[in-house]
Amino acid sequence: MFGTHDIPLSFETENIQLNIQKQNGCFIYQRKCNDEEEEKTLLAKSPTILINPVEPINKPKEITNYLLIDIDTSVIIEPRSTHKLFLTFPVAIGVFIKRARDYDVLDIFTLASQKYTLYGDQQRGVICRYWESKAYSSPPDVDLLHLGVVELSIKNTTERWVPVSKAVFNAYGMRIYYSSEQVSMKASMEILSENTAETEFSSSPLKKEMKKSLELYTVRKLSVLSSTFTMADGI
Amino acid sequence: MILDKVIYDKVTVFNLIMILAVFVAAIIISRMIAFYARRTLKGKVEQDTLEIVIKIITYGLVSVAVFYGLTVLGINLSGLMVAGGVVGVIIGFASQGIIGNLISGIFLIIERPIKIGDQVNIDNHTGYVEDIRIISTTIRTYDGLYVRIPNQNIFTSSIINYVNHIVRRFEYIVGIRYSDDADNAIKIIKAVIEKHPFALKTPKPQVFVDNFGDNSVNILVRVWSPISEWFSVKMELLLQIKKALEAEGIEIAFPQRVVWFGNRDDEANKETGC
Repeated sequence: MFGTHDIPLSFETENIQLNIQKQNGCFIYQRKCNDEEEEKTLLAKSPTILINPVEPINKPKEITNYLLIDIDTSVIIEPRSTHKLFLTFPVAIGVFIKRARDYDVLDIFTLASQKYTLYGDQQRGVICRYWESKAYSSPPDVDLLHLGVVELSIKNTTERWVPVSKAVFNAYGMRIYYSSEQVSMKASMEILSENTAETEFSSSPLKKEMKKSLELYTVRKLSVLSSTFTMADGI
Repeated sequence: MILDKVIYDKVTVFNLIMILAVFVAAIIISRMIAFYARRTLKGKVEQDTLEIVIKIITYGLVSVAVFYGLTVLGINLSGLMVAGGVVGVIIGFASQGIIGNLISGIFLIIERPIKIGDQVNIDNHTGYVEDIRIISTTIRTYDGLYVRIPNQNIFTSSIINYVNHIVRRFEYIVGIRYSDDADNAIKIIKAVIEKHPFALKTPKPQVFVDNFGDNSVNILVRVWSPISEWFSVKMELLLQIKKALEAEGIEIAFPQRVVWFGNRDDEANKETGC
């Protein structure tokens, strides 16, 4: 499903139906995902469509740019060391329409469950998209239309054993890569103290053959001031 | 030439036209700056901050024009200040309210307990803050009324700002029948809350039997939600809870009275001791 397509096009999986067909001189976009349906009319000559995974923070409504991954069993990191682990993250699928050299968002949908949470206190905290994941020692085998894999490199700069039970990321810095088998990201977490850490995404794919996704913040031409996130309210 | 005609002292018609032109130019320039600032910075800068900056620019430009006019008219500002000492006392008494509102307005802008667009309750007026001016603040109530409140009133009354924090809690009391399984009801309500995206995971929702009412077992439901979604979540969840409970055969209790007829049934009399 992911990649660039000419229209008319049609995809059908167990939970997703996506069609763009020509009708009476215009194109009709129809999408069904679980119980959610979307229909749009495209007035264009011969548009090109790009479908790829995007930041999972837009459904059912964009209210935040943070993603919190809750690790179901706490991971304890030894002092002065760097370790890698793999987590899952929810995949959101973005449908873009090409206009000259620019892309515009046509639709966003997801098969993953949607839940939000508060990180920090009620005054200075942030609302985050919530996702619960197991911690894996190697990339888990998951359905790429539903889940992605994030390789998290955790660096403990302290002199103590530090338990890590969650990771909060700034989605404006997400670098998502995809292939026909997997959706992935690479991220790092630097533990600064027992309660503080800094997270960031890195711009390299998990596997060489993976393609870079077109992210929403790039399409919307948002000026991103910082792509890191400082977790100051617990890790 | 008519332009060189002296009106009084050294002030000519040309001077008056210049004063008028500078004043009009100051207003036009400030309007243009406000227009372009609103158009280009909308969505990039907080509306509240934007309006304050626009006001500072507007008042600044108008003040410059006024000082220019006074200087051209030959009015000595230091002399004005001395005269102002006497006149000021008189004006001060006459305009106590206005000065109070003005100072309150300045403090409101500095302290910022409310911002433009906030949902507030001030002096029992609930609605959206439309504008914070130097003398008064305007509110658009939820039913669309325009309310102008003098800043002094705002400054001295208690303000409830509904959107100051990023999350807000709401609660329901769900009364079920005594014959229904309260444990099961709690489980169903928790499942409904868990399913709603904007019923926050943390702070955790609370669902528990709060009290035994006259006609129902009262279950208290407390849910936190992002402030932007608070009202829609509150509306949606209650109906979803009702539907989910009814689907499992649990009914919302209503007031009822059981009447026993004591002299008809001997067995019943024995049991009840009547």
